[in-house]
Amino acid sequence: MTLQPEDFWSYYEWLMRPNAFMESAFLQGVVLFVLVIVLGLMIGYIISAVRYGPGEGFYAVARAVRDLVRTDLPGTRVRRVWALARLAFKEAIRRRVLFVIGLFVVGLMLAGWYLNPQSDDPARLYISFVLTATNYLILALALFISTFSIPADIKSRTIYTIVTKPVRPTEIVLGRMLGFVGVGTMMLVPMGLASYLFVTRGLRHTHVEVVEVEEVGDGRLQGETDYTRSHRHSFTVEADGRGYTDVVRGHRHLVTRGDDGDFEIGPPVGALRARIPEYGEIQFLDRSGEPKEEGIDVGNEQLREGYGSAGLSRLVGVAEGPRRLTHGYVEGGTLAAAIYTFDQVTPQRYPDGIPVDISIRAYRAHKGDIESGLRGSITLKHPDRDVESNPIVFEVNEYDIDERTLPPEIEGTDGDETRVLSLFDDLVTEDGRLQLVIRCVDRGQYLGMTKSGVYLKPGENSFGWNLTKAYGSIWLQMTMVIAFGVMFSTFLSGPVAMVATAVCVLLGFSAERVYDTRYHIDAGIDMGGGPIESIVRILRQDAMTTQLDVDTIASRVIKTADAGIVYALDAVATALPNLPKMVGTAEYAASGFDVFGALLARHATATLGYCLLAFLVSYFFLKSREIAA
Amino acid sequence: MNRQTAFGRKIVYLVVLVAMLVPLFLLGQPSGGEGDPGGRLTEMRREFNIAESDLGEISPASETAKLASLGLRGVAATLLWNKAHEYKVRHEWDRLKAALNNIALLQPHFDKVWEHQAWNLAYNVSSEFDDYRQRYEMVREGTEFLQRGVNQNRNAPRLVWYTGWFYGQKIGVADEKTQFRRLFADDEALHERLLEERIAVDSPEARGPLGKPDNWLVGRLWLNRGYDLVDSGVKIRRQTPLNFYETGAKWRIRHAEAIEREGVLDERAQNAWQLAREDWIGFGNRSIPTTAPFTIKLDQLDELSRQVDERMEEFRELTGDAYEVERERLLESLSEEEREILERADEGEQLTDDESYQLQGIRRRIQPAPDSVARQADPDVRLRAIRLAGEIRDLAARASKTDAYREQINYSYWRTLTEAEQEERTVRARRLVYEAEKANAEAEIDKAIGLYEEAFEIWAEIFEDFPILVIDDTGEDLYESIQRYRVAIDSEELPEDFPLRGFVKMMNDEGRIRSDAHQAILNSPDGRIDPDSLPDEEPDYDSPAGGPEGGSDGAKLEVPDFRESNGGG
Repeated sequence: MTLQPEDFWSYYEWLMRPNAFMESAFLQGVVLFVLVIVLGLMIGYIISAVRYGPGEGFYAVARAVRDLVRTDLPGTRVRRVWALARLAFKEAIRRRVLFVIGLFVVGLMLAGWYLNPQSDDPARLYISFVLTATNYLILALALFISTFSIPADIKSRTIYTIVTKPVRPTEIVLGRMLGFVGVGTMMLVPMGLASYLFVTRGLRHTHVEVVEVEEVGDGRLQGETDYTRSHRHSFTVEADGRGYTDVVRGHRHLVTRGDDGDFEIGPPVGALRARIPEYGEIQFLDRSGEPKEEGIDVGNEQLREGYGSAGLSRLVGVAEGPRRLTHGYVEGGTLAAAIYTFDQVTPQRYPDGIPVDISIRAYRAHKGDIESGLRGSITLKHPDRDVESNPIVFEVNEYDIDERTLPPEIEGTDGDETRVLSLFDDLVTEDGRLQLVIRCVDRGQYLGMTKSGVYLKPGENSFGWNLTKAYGSIWLQMTMVIAFGVMFSTFLSGPVAMVATAVCVLLGFSAERVYDTRYHIDAGIDMGGGPIESIVRILRQDAMTTQLDVDTIASRVIKTADAGIVYALDAVATALPNLPKMVGTAEYAASGFDVFGALLARHATATLGYCLLAFLVSYFFLKSREIAA
Repeated sequence: MNRQTAFGRKIVYLVVLVAMLVPLFLLGQPSGGEGDPGGRLTEMRREFNIAESDLGEISPASETAKLASLGLRGVAATLLWNKAHEYKVRHEWDRLKAALNNIALLQPHFDKVWEHQAWNLAYNVSSEFDDYRQRYEMVREGTEFLQRGVNQNRNAPRLVWYTGWFYGQKIGVADEKTQFRRLFADDEALHERLLEERIAVDSPEARGPLGKPDNWLVGRLWLNRGYDLVDSGVKIRRQTPLNFYETGAKWRIRHAEAIEREGVLDERAQNAWQLAREDWIGFGNRSIPTTAPFTIKLDQLDELSRQVDERMEEFRELTGDAYEVERERLLESLSEEEREILERADEGEQLTDDESYQLQGIRRRIQPAPDSVARQADPDVRLRAIRLAGEIRDLAARASKTDAYREQINYSYWRTLTEAEQEERTVRARRLVYEAEKANAEAEIDKAIGLYEEAFEIWAEIFEDFPILVIDDTGEDLYESIQRYRVAIDSEELPEDFPLRGFVKMMNDEGRIRSDAHQAILNSPDGRIDPDSLPDEEPDYDSPAGGPEGGSDGAKLEVPDFRESNGGG
């Protein structure tokens, strides 16, 4: 999992973006609120003015605002909201939404057909399958239950029996939202449990017997397990009769040798994890040892992504291009290196040595020695003083996480003196900083690194808790969709509200594509153009990157119209919640990383903001219906 | 009134629905068996061999996926292809494989999917890994992906052929061929799965000299399966038959080369070459469909030429004067200039390149066409002559087709190679070089020099008997040994009586055969040339003056000139 710059932001950094306030989520939220309020008032006034005339219309709008502030908001009572929520809940249950759980279970039962049994990392495949399946099912469900309820009430005129009761519009809206969220939650819980069971049971397997055991001296035994589920392990059992197999497909087994000489192989260990990473800052050095912003690009194909993190600054045209972190490479046998600086390295946090996980890429510029992998070296370095350890050479284990522990004492140089260095005393600064310098040992070959590729690991969380957090993210998305659904249903008929909500969801999912199209229009790069140009190109069977081959006036008309459409879409997409980012939370759980608290907090804040917005809009529309009634 | 129109409208809908059912029925009707071909769709399914031939082949996963896409199978597959590409860019190999799996479930009968994505895994993705074992795993997975395709498409010989190609070419030619071949030989889990596929990896046909399955031989078994399939009446699609059939015999040759490279230089290698020769000759005697309406056998060229000559003899006897008269007439039709070239050539004078080229055309033009001679023949024998002329035309067409096809794959070269390599002395020569190299590497210089010299003696004999071997890898490898020999004897100059003097002269500085020597060998009827007739320096074909390998950019510019001169000639 390669993390992007915005993934490292703390909650505060995300909210306020110090030094780049234009990108801050806070600003984006405020602008959105102001815009909605201004637009809402304007549209409200226009509608009222048409209905009641310009003067009376103004008063109608003013009354609505006054009602909200003076009576409806302060008068909202939890009891009534609760009663309405229960109604909404019951209504949804009566519409047999629980059927979706059945659908999910059937999906899980059939999943075995579609999950590749030969996968190198089955845990990842299983987890990401259950999480994505839940995600899409729940979003679809939220879409259905939230959009049909109010329009149905209005159509059957049951809404009048409600509004004539001493119930406030705020309570109707809140009640619906909470009721539906309750239904969704009730469904998420069994789905989560089923997913947990599916993943843990799906990965459980044992190797029944051992083959080819031989003694390697000192009473140690080496052998191989049988071939089960498209893999086998080799293992070493120590003289005390216990040992571990090697890690294959992300797990290993405990092997014990009984007194009767029989081997017993335990269940898989380590397949389901939630590592808590502590990332450092990365600095590249070029081949002459000079600091460089980035490593060498070895020419891998890249995706154009990461526009979204630029926030409003991209919308108003300040930020440039996609922002995506890729692997930067360092050349072997030169002074080139990547230096990671870690904070908070204290003996209290790392009482049993410092675990460090390394996942870096290898790139061969020449064939070299085929039998052995490329080698890198880790040097521990004091950030401020001239103290560093001797390099620890390792062989790169590409596309795998190489888990090591830094030794508490290591040979090294202190100025001109060579001696044994103590990790915490000699190499870590007083404020707990430590540098890891990674080089490529093989001349003319390259090692690729990103910020998220090397991290210290102060601890691990339980997988169950991590899965719960991933489900939390799904819950937040569901809440958001419900809020949007209820909002649209206050002024649109059921099916139309559903389509509108679906469009918002889809646009949220494809926001990056819209941003990308706009970027190419802004930068004047031919990359297929906007929707009209694309259709023209498809009909003419022209390639994306050629110049649009129509006459000048037609071209100008097409491009202008396209720019209008794309800019409008861009504005709308920027205003919508960043759903792909939220769906991406599943990736953490699947890749065996603890879902960052800051990330969940960010999602929660965004959800709250959008719900609030949807609530306000819903209130005014419902109010206007009431007035109309 | 209103109700009536509504009712009427419903009736109209019903009629339209029923009317539309009729073509649907005609199109989609299943076959009733016993000579009932069924609807058009059924017919097409059978025609393109995409019908599941028995219930066991229907994959519930695949059918569910197709149904679940609600008729948007194409859209779903397109999205998945995009996803697959994205995963490849992100180096998410596991997900890439999962996506490919799903594409294959959606479109199990689109054989290009299997082919393309298997290639993607085995060739493109495998090379992204640093560890050769992981690379091998990816090659294996790509190949097994293809195997699944074979099982889903029982009538696609190209997929079977491709599987055989992967087992041979990918494992046996890659940079990591030594490692890959070793891993393949020890991959027992794969061997078991291959046995389940009814590929007899445990038979002597598949086992190499060390008793373990050899990738080339296993590939050959796959190819043979494809040949059996075609022999049973399935058509070869998307591939030329020549290419399709050549590979199987080639894989035996490759196998022999591979084991020799790995140091198996005794009767086992000799045996491998003998089998390779059998296979190659077997291939030469296989009927191969051509672009013409007849089939050919590559090894029958001599026989065809003999038949043509025989008929021609008969024809000339039969037609008597008419042949000579026609030839005279053709000679007279030549221009002054052309006649002069012909005369000079007959007198053995040296001609320029341009003139030699013209001469070929002239010779062709003065050759009387049997048809026209037959028409001029004595009325008594005319009918027989015309029939004979027809036979000659037909045989000549076959001979020329055979010749062209042989040229395409360098048939005679491979034939000679297998002939030369199966000899005991060739294997011995190779073993001597191998041992000399080993001694050299271990710094036993005197022993190495002795072995080298002994080997070079034998090689000189082999080249004398099979001159065409000079242009092969054999020549290049040997030249490298000669270079090391030079270092060992510590002298740039080779001794006066060095047995391979002529051979060394034919090689250039890069250790390859000189292009002029190469051309001369190919042009010479028996492959023999006199190395001393070559100029001291290799002509520089890279210069703008152009030449047979004059570089593509130069050739583009010269296109108009070429056309003009062609028109003039």
